[in-house]
Amino acid sequence: MTTTAPETGADPTLLRVRDLTVGFTTAQGPVDVVENLDFDLERGGALGIVGESGSGKSMTSLAIMGLLPKGARRSGSIEFAGTELTGLPERGMRAVRGDRIGMIFQDPLSSLNPYYTVGTQIAEAYRSHRKGVTRRQARTVAIEAMERVHIRDAARRVDHYPHQFSGGMRQRVMIAMTLSMEPELIIADEPTTALDVTVQAQILDLLAEIRAETGAGLILITHDLAVVSEVTDHIVVLRDGDLVEAGPVERIFTDPQEEYTRMLLDAVPRIDDEIGLLRTTSAAEEGR
Amino acid sequence: MTDTPEPLLRARDLVKEFAIPGGGPLSRARRFRAVDDVSLEVRTGETLALVGESGSGKSTTARLIARLIDITSGSIEFAGREVHALTGRALHAYRSEVQVVFQDPYSSLNPRHSVERIVTAPLVYQRRRVPGGARAFTKELMERVGLDPDHSARFPSQFSGGQAQRIGIARALAVSPKLIIADEAVSALDVSVQAQVINLLRRLQDEEGFSYLFIAHDLAVVRQIATRVAVMNGGRIVETGDRDQVFEEPRDDYTKKLLSAIPRIRPEWDAARRRNERARRDRERQEAVES
Repeated sequence: MTTTAPETGADPTLLRVRDLTVGFTTAQGPVDVVENLDFDLERGGALGIVGESGSGKSMTSLAIMGLLPKGARRSGSIEFAGTELTGLPERGMRAVRGDRIGMIFQDPLSSLNPYYTVGTQIAEAYRSHRKGVTRRQARTVAIEAMERVHIRDAARRVDHYPHQFSGGMRQRVMIAMTLSMEPELIIADEPTTALDVTVQAQILDLLAEIRAETGAGLILITHDLAVVSEVTDHIVVLRDGDLVEAGPVERIFTDPQEEYTRMLLDAVPRIDDEIGLLRTTSAAEEGR
Repeated sequence: MTDTPEPLLRARDLVKEFAIPGGGPLSRARRFRAVDDVSLEVRTGETLALVGESGSGKSTTARLIARLIDITSGSIEFAGREVHALTGRALHAYRSEVQVVFQDPYSSLNPRHSVERIVTAPLVYQRRRVPGGARAFTKELMERVGLDPDHSARFPSQFSGGQAQRIGIARALAVSPKLIIADEAVSALDVSVQAQVINLLRRLQDEEGFSYLFIAHDLAVVRQIATRVAVMNGGRIVETGDRDQVFEEPRDDYTKKLLSAIPRIRPEWDAARRRNERARRDRERQEAVES
């Protein structure tokens, strides 16, 4: 089985990203959407990658999973639990992706096939990574996984189709699918952005519970600074493909070193407080 | 101001039902009540925020008030007139007194029209003269919403999301409305751009004195802009009150649940950041003096 708590002497780093660059060739020439990115995630740690649109945060997660769109260039090093992922052939990558690295996306409806029951989809995903597992065994795994994400009446709901679930429940199904593989790392790309705030709170609680139970590492990709402040212990701030600032969450929120990070924090509307004028990138832009 | 100013807009017992497709010839058509007995007031110069989660009926309520859809029952009075009885010239007048700014600027602005054509369109539809000529009128409006007036011949796709939203706001301002309905108008914007547009909306209200009906799901945004807040759930308004009362002493259970679900940056972290920021500025000033 996988190690959750490192033994003494074991490498505490689960994911080590060095000099990661992702680029595209456009009609106007080459464009880098992620440039020379370095960051680490410790075993059991939770890292938030935050940025506005176009910052390269989603491209970073796709690069880690080897899911970049056609035509993208990727260079640098991505070392996962001691294995260099960038050199792996697609077959080797498939053994890691969805198995040791689980993924949760913003829109669960587009990640689920409308023609199959959720149980079939969880079970088949499981069987594709676990040779020799029977359909019956996989169905049991699916029901257990659905129970673990608190889907009530899982033994019955397992035979329902995606459209029979609400948005929050579908995201639970996706998390159940991820969880059934017992991944060492979960990458969640805007997992609650499409959800109502009360449902978001439930899903974030669920992710925290899973981390505590399984010891899996988490990378949370989001535009929402309040969400990362509650969920993660380290943060990477990206802007236009560049790393602006990285550090422990409390340090970033209490003592940001970069002007961009300060601006971003000032721009977040606070629920507890009315702020005179929200600070923005350039005073001139608003002040006329 | 008198002690009890007549509200600009008063909606009473609004109901909107939609037919649910299906049902055989023998069964009665089933109906879904999206807005269920909603009453609200918008006073002159204030911002009433209508908040709720998806399916709460907040956007349907906004569309009823804008008269984009018909009411099932109830009444909407605007400046003393019954809105759903308006026809002809009076309806035209209502359309210029109430304007809507939508969530997605790109889908609510005609991609093949220049900024000039877009912002003067409301006047053209109403066969009104464009004061000072279309070019000068557009440039003045663009300046007021913080856009470069030299870009009046450009098309929506040549603007960023935040700038495109400013075009939508400029179009709303073109007819000097008394009420602007902002339906999730800042929800799709990045946080730094969102802050700029919120600031702009507040400044314009200070300058013009119009009212906002501000539809939003993001309570932190609402805190920055609302005078009063109405919370909707399941087609009904569960609580209405002054902003600070709703945020600080919510009375309804659903409001309490909604407020407690919002992720927040710890206030003590914010306080520490402000302290560190002050210290940093002092240090920089010190260094500037010494050098």
